[in-house]
Amino acid sequence: MIALADFLILGAVLFCISVAGIFINRKNILILLMCIELMLLSVNINFIAFSHFLGDIGGQVFVFFILTVAAAEAAIGLAILVVLFRNKRSINVTDISSMKG
Amino acid sequence: MTAALNHLHLFVPEIFVASMICIILLVDAYVPKAINALTHQLSQATVIGAALLTLLNQPTETTLLLHNTFVSDSLSVTLKMAMYVLMFGVFVYSRSYLQQRGLLKGEYYVLALCALLGMMVLASAAHFLSLYMGLELMALSIYALVALNRDSAQSSEAAMKYFILGALASGLLLYGISMIYGATGTLELKAVSDVIAEGKAESKLLLLGITFIMVGLAFKLGVVPFHMWVPDIYQGSPTAITLLIASVPKIAGFAMLMRLLVDGMSGLHSTWGDMLIILAVLSMALGNIVAIAQTNIKRMLAYSTISHMGFLSLGMLVGTNEGYAAALFYTLVYALMSLGGFGMIILLSRSGFEAENIEDFKGLNKRSPWYAFMMLILMLSMAGVPPMLGFWAKLAVISQIVNAHMYVLAVMAVLFSVIGMYYYLRIIKYMYFDAPAENSPEIEANTDMRWTLSLNALAVLGLGLFPHTLLQLCQNSL
Amino acid sequence: MTSLVFYIFATILIFAAIRVVTVKNPVHASLFLVLAFFTSAGIWLLLEAEFLAITLVLVYVGAVMVLFLFVIMMLDIDHKTLREGFGRYFAIGSFVAVVVLLELYMVFKAKGSDLATTTAKAMAEDVPNTVALGKVLYTDYLYPFELAAMLLLVAMVAAITLTMRPRRSNKYQEPSKQVEVKASDRLKVLKMPAEKAE
Repeated sequence: MIALADFLILGAVLFCISVAGIFINRKNILILLMCIELMLLSVNINFIAFSHFLGDIGGQVFVFFILTVAAAEAAIGLAILVVLFRNKRSINVTDISSMKG
Repeated sequence: MTAALNHLHLFVPEIFVASMICIILLVDAYVPKAINALTHQLSQATVIGAALLTLLNQPTETTLLLHNTFVSDSLSVTLKMAMYVLMFGVFVYSRSYLQQRGLLKGEYYVLALCALLGMMVLASAAHFLSLYMGLELMALSIYALVALNRDSAQSSEAAMKYFILGALASGLLLYGISMIYGATGTLELKAVSDVIAEGKAESKLLLLGITFIMVGLAFKLGVVPFHMWVPDIYQGSPTAITLLIASVPKIAGFAMLMRLLVDGMSGLHSTWGDMLIILAVLSMALGNIVAIAQTNIKRMLAYSTISHMGFLSLGMLVGTNEGYAAALFYTLVYALMSLGGFGMIILLSRSGFEAENIEDFKGLNKRSPWYAFMMLILMLSMAGVPPMLGFWAKLAVISQIVNAHMYVLAVMAVLFSVIGMYYYLRIIKYMYFDAPAENSPEIEANTDMRWTLSLNALAVLGLGLFPHTLLQLCQNSL
Repeated sequence: MTSLVFYIFATILIFAAIRVVTVKNPVHASLFLVLAFFTSAGIWLLLEAEFLAITLVLVYVGAVMVLFLFVIMMLDIDHKTLREGFGRYFAIGSFVAVVVLLELYMVFKAKGSDLATTTAKAMAEDVPNTVALGKVLYTDYLYPFELAAMLLLVAMVAAITLTMRPRRSNKYQEPSKQVEVKASDRLKVLKMPAEKAE
């Protein structure tokens, strides 16, 4: 039988991949947004695993709401991305050096 | 079911704000644009109405309702009242600025009120889920507001950065919450607190959870070393939006600290208290020192925010009710000063010109002695010079640190405040001892803006002469 | 048997996640993300969260990822510049990730921890997963549910505000203006003295 720890480790691996992805792809906003989705997925796996092993539905409800928020977040994030692209014709955040210091 | 509907009057302000948001959305869509001011007036009416409803429906004791997802206590009332006052100020200051730049759309008001609703939810969160939903409601509205000027590359870039880092912070916070849930088996903050007190929770999971939650909170509050977004966002947003970010959400940030750390995890105070020490010292040091090198006033105030957030964490880490009261006092005072400070920047800006550089304040005394005096009050207060309100706030926090026998921390707090004085006094020097730039035009502002801004600055002075009223209020809230 | 399924799914999931963060082309990245969502839906089924597993596929694969693909295709992005600094950050990124992972592993696999031995407890009521969720969603979690509605409203308002641009080239009629028009706006009767022929 699979132990709770195995699910948590799976979540941890996904979490770390998403953190690494944020480090690696700091110039590519599309991939950054996907890394955030991955991070939320890892959190969701944790919640569902705990919910299953605690016998408590609360964790699943939390996941339900995280999915809702993530969808809203993706919509706004992509909208901002589109605005950024229209202004700069690229989605490269580090292009601008006027905001350093 | 009837039990759930008891005490529902405590929930009326939230219902009112949510309904008004929908009404404003419809009014803005269907009423001809000629009556543009209607949206503005409706939004102000929403804030005032919510304030009245909150005052009329005060709880007699700490009351949990809606299946323990919503808490109403004196703290939530104080926080919400502060939010209404600040939001009212934000709407007054922003109006002409946004109008001159063609940004005064109904969506601004709808999103700002949604952010307000999110912050109200945070102020009375009693459940991880309501806390999270409130946080996201606030954050998503603010991301969109930062990008409101969609023809500005700088704003949209700031919005993108804010979005990425904000979403990352939410992810970290959620990871922490999932661990706390696993360790305690519940999502209700009060139940979490009980389980921790009984010592039944898996201690390693708890520790892991609190670490992630602290990182997430540090990101959201903008304390060092998770501060890098703050200066970029403050500088990149339209000033009216910076005004919003720099004032009301600070109260919400404090609410989040109180609800998560104190209501939910006071049993882990020794852990998060130590983490806060590091965050506080680093923030005060970096914020105050880097601010000196800034030439852009929005950026300077951003670093000043970082240092003030460090000071706020000092009040929290003591871990006593007096300490929390001092932190609350500090937050309210800071938000009021910040509102006034950014209000002044908006006052000096006009269409086609952003008063973004510190040099723009040169010779303000010759151009307008009254507003120079108002700015003098605000800057002295931020620097912590008696008898301004800012001094009493700093004193309240430092005396709590001394009471807790953390003398080294107290000395550092004083030291960094003294360093911080330099850049506030520099603005005063520019205003009073330098000649104004040539062809600097008259300062023009609406009557309501003039009155509110003067009132704002005079409140900082006036309340500073009688600091005990506000401090007493803060102590009674806890 | 369940263990085998779990390990197969976990391997695919981790592979897909790694590909998401390392591939060159954003389209491929989003397709790998779709794969990651599908496999995690499978893992959620093992955890008896059937409703959420279906929701994940419907909401994410059906809506969010399509939105992603739509934006990728709509924007004409130069992929080459986006890869700058990839090698430089790769080392530091993977180093941080491995350190964090080791720490988390030590916590979860610590000796004396009951995470490895605890067995699943049955839910309080013996009803299907969807029924159990439905029962609490509109009662215990009514407040967050209403907040979710507000949140979706914000998402809608924000997305429209930021991206909608009325096309100037569009020619269309506004019936309200047509109805409101008065004869006096269109036709002006001028009184002039009649000219006399001379």
